[in-house]
Amino acid sequence: MFVAPFGIFYLVFLIWPVVYMFITSLFDTSLVKHGFGPFAGFANYREMLTKPEFWSAMWHTIQFTLYTVPPLVVLAFVFAVLANRIGGRSEWLFRLAFFVPFILPSATIALIWSFIYTPSTGLWNSFQKLLGAADPAPVLGTPDLAMVGIAVTTVWWTIGFNFILYLAGLQDIPRELYEAAAVDGASQWQQIRSITIPLLSRTTTLVLLLQIIASLKIFDQVYLMTAGGPGISTQVVLGLVTTTAFTDYRVGAAAAASVLLFIVILAITVVRPLIERIQQRREA
Amino acid sequence: MSSDNGRAVKQRSRNGVSAAAPAPAPAGGNVSARRSAGRMFTVVSWIVLVGFAALWIIPSLWAIKTSLTPNSVSAVGAGPILRNWNLTIDSYRTLLNGGNIWNWYLASVVTSVVTVALTILFASMTAYALSRLRFRGRHLVFLLMIAGIMVPAQVLIVPIFQELNAFGLLNTYWAVILPQVPAVIAVFVFKQFFDGLPQAFEESALIDGAGYWRIYWSIVMPMSRPVIGAMSIVTFVGVWNNLILPLFVLSNPNLMTIPVGLATVQGSYGQQLSDIQASSILGALPLVVLFLIFQKRIVEGVAGTGLKG
Amino acid sequence: MASDRSKMSAGLSRRSFLGGLGVAALGATTGCSVLGAGVAGTEVAPGTVTYWNLFGGGDGARMLVMEDAYRAGPGSPKLQAATFTWGNPYYTKLSLATIGQVPPDVAISHLTRSANLARAGLISEITEETLGMVGLSPGDFSEKAWKAQQLDGKNYAIPLDTHPFVLYYNAEVCEKAGLLDSAGNLKPINGTKGWEAALSAAKQVTGAYGASVATIGDQATSWRWFQTLYQQHEGATPWLADTGRTLSYNREITLDTLAYIQSLTKKGLMPADTDYAGSQTLMFTGKSGFYLQGEWEITTAQSIKGLKFGMVPVPTLFDRPAAQGDSHTFVLPARSRTDEQLRRAMGFVKSMLDQSLTWAKGGHIPAYLPTLHSQAYKELSPQSNYASAADTVVYDAPAWYSGSGSTFENIVGAQIGLVQQGLASPQAALARARSQLLTYANTPSPL
Repeated sequence: MFVAPFGIFYLVFLIWPVVYMFITSLFDTSLVKHGFGPFAGFANYREMLTKPEFWSAMWHTIQFTLYTVPPLVVLAFVFAVLANRIGGRSEWLFRLAFFVPFILPSATIALIWSFIYTPSTGLWNSFQKLLGAADPAPVLGTPDLAMVGIAVTTVWWTIGFNFILYLAGLQDIPRELYEAAAVDGASQWQQIRSITIPLLSRTTTLVLLLQIIASLKIFDQVYLMTAGGPGISTQVVLGLVTTTAFTDYRVGAAAAASVLLFIVILAITVVRPLIERIQQRREA
Repeated sequence: MSSDNGRAVKQRSRNGVSAAAPAPAPAGGNVSARRSAGRMFTVVSWIVLVGFAALWIIPSLWAIKTSLTPNSVSAVGAGPILRNWNLTIDSYRTLLNGGNIWNWYLASVVTSVVTVALTILFASMTAYALSRLRFRGRHLVFLLMIAGIMVPAQVLIVPIFQELNAFGLLNTYWAVILPQVPAVIAVFVFKQFFDGLPQAFEESALIDGAGYWRIYWSIVMPMSRPVIGAMSIVTFVGVWNNLILPLFVLSNPNLMTIPVGLATVQGSYGQQLSDIQASSILGALPLVVLFLIFQKRIVEGVAGTGLKG
Repeated sequence: MASDRSKMSAGLSRRSFLGGLGVAALGATTGCSVLGAGVAGTEVAPGTVTYWNLFGGGDGARMLVMEDAYRAGPGSPKLQAATFTWGNPYYTKLSLATIGQVPPDVAISHLTRSANLARAGLISEITEETLGMVGLSPGDFSEKAWKAQQLDGKNYAIPLDTHPFVLYYNAEVCEKAGLLDSAGNLKPINGTKGWEAALSAAKQVTGAYGASVATIGDQATSWRWFQTLYQQHEGATPWLADTGRTLSYNREITLDTLAYIQSLTKKGLMPADTDYAGSQTLMFTGKSGFYLQGEWEITTAQSIKGLKFGMVPVPTLFDRPAAQGDSHTFVLPARSRTDEQLRRAMGFVKSMLDQSLTWAKGGHIPAYLPTLHSQAYKELSPQSNYASAADTVVYDAPAWYSGSGSTFENIVGAQIGLVQQGLASPQAALARARSQLLTYANTPSPL
């Protein structure tokens, strides 16, 4: 009785789509035709696994992860430790600065940053010119730079989330530990190294894994800022999925790509409890 | 799972309490030297943090400044925008008179509010059952929920589109609302909270002959206000900001939510940069207001779901 | 409200499903049509003509004028127009809206995209009877465009214009460079030698560039520039054949053309790093003598105070005149329509065609013959100077992944852009484009 309403939604909009995705991926389903279309076996998977665009999208997804995860973890940690140390009433100020971007829509973020990156006359290129660069490269228009531009935007956008997680973690550390360390003559840096970092290791694992999973699901920023361009130099897997399904009308092939991404994310999600268990055992 | 329970509860109780002042200097040792080192550290912390905070605020300020600059000036480039201080609200006036943005607000408000209501109601009911009732198949339901938490909803955009198409729901608000209702994370957050509630009240009510439904509705839910508040806001923000789902299931400009409208519909006059920045700020405004009012709840909610997500 | 719902075109399944949710009543009682549409799936704007397009920049401004004129017309129904991001995003939205049963009444489509929409069943056939409803007939349209829109002998798209890639010139720069004749018109430029001489002369004056064309962030423009020069070669074959199943470009000519494009930026005659807006600004501000783009940017050019400019067909640098181009057309997205709705939609189309002269002022060469042959159009300058380019326009080759702003243009254009920027050799660029295109060529059409 109590479970039924949620259960129905759960089955219809979570479980069934997963099943449906697997089924569709075995057919040459077209968006503009009725039914599943001709049976394709594993042809869609074969296509995805052999075509360079898929691997390039996979690589860009990983590239995005590599660019964003370290700053998002390290900077968030630093910000949180410093804000925690300063403490007091000023904490709200930093919360405002670092956390507010996180609750804004990706569309707003993308519009703001695309504007900053406007070639030659935008804020960033004008700033570079001010520093003496003759002809600064347009960030989103240069294949090697575009993903960096998206990554910077993302770090700006989402760091608040990790910042809050670290702040919460820091408040779990008993003050007595620091006091005891101070009595023993440990400097501030030593305290951070020997108390804060080890005691926050579970938070760090959590932040890392959440961040990796979130990065694998990257879609909004790329769709809004570069639409996968220049060329396909920033196309990511979810972008490839939606383009294949909704622009090329190839739902079957898109489903196959979704399944592959799904498997990757699932694998990482499954790894998380394992790592946590190992950590617990080590702590115990 | 169980080890996290205590953690989350402890953290909730501590949240909102701002961090204590730096550790008091201990007696003994070279007190003054250590104290000055501590002070140095605080000063450096301040400088670094304020520097980064400034860096973090610049993009928003830049967007706000541009939105208040005439289109003709912003078209020329960054320098002129910086130099021109004849501020104008023309861009906002154009947008608010345009009509589309009001339809987008309507769509965003309706979809967000309805999704929040359904999610909170259904998730808390399920959580209550899992926490209190010993029904058959309880373990199966629990396992299914754990499995569900691993499913990344964005990856399901294609089958969900197909499904909504089959139901004839595309281009209605329901296409945005219904797929977002089964937020498994909410069930877990509620279940954790319920598990931590003292059961004495409920037991005496049960003895008095109250049904489970009445206990849920008139005892458990009122006691859950803080968690309901936190979950509501987090869900609200999530639905308001969702792009990928409404982007593909809402194609009519009259029915779009704010993010989709911002992302796809252009002003017919083309690149009016000030208008674009103004529209992006209008899209964000409700959330900023929400944040300023419910700061504590939002932070709590995010920390809570993050720890479980 | 209730009567609106009975007219609703959506299938029974939607109505009964929503009825089951018990919310139809809510939509009906609010009395707000948008909320009703969002909640209960009723018609969004009953009695209104809804019209979608992808016009930005000068085209967008021009289209607004025409829409206002339509609104001002006696007895015109209400009009709701929406503009979406150009290219694939627009066609994706149009497709999804049609699949989702709320397409607009009328939509703009590039001629090179309409055949795919028709094959997908997303747009309705336009019979001569339908045309006759508002007094139109096939003979009213320029033959080349009309023939190009036909699929299996049926009509699906009503051409509004033809829009070739053209050459703009800054009259002041060209004057100083000695490139104008006594009447102030650009002296004819012929062959690569003549082209480079003109660019060098202009570069002398500007101190920056001879001519500018977008190289960054705009695959379509890169493709237009390449295709124009490629098709000027004798023996240049279409890029795709057999409705896209084979790549049929001439390898030698392709590599030559790419190398030539690259040589122009390498010599500094044309900029290597400029985007759509930047390439314009260069010519507008006298930092470049020439500017290459579709003729639609005339509106932007005219809005620049003090700018004197002219427009001509792209000079013939190789063997024969040719220019990449396309046509904007009106299509009727597939939905069930009452006669009244059809008449309303066609009435809007007719009104737009009647305003072809306004549209032509925006640079486009009218496809509607009464306007094309009118004295008023012939007197339009510089617009009528390049009207002949309509005859040598080359449409993109048909394929399910081809057409203006399509995946094909994105793939090939991106590589051409890299060649322009000097970041890829012609060989490497072609190899990459080929491998990406082969995936599409080898995939059975989903249409």
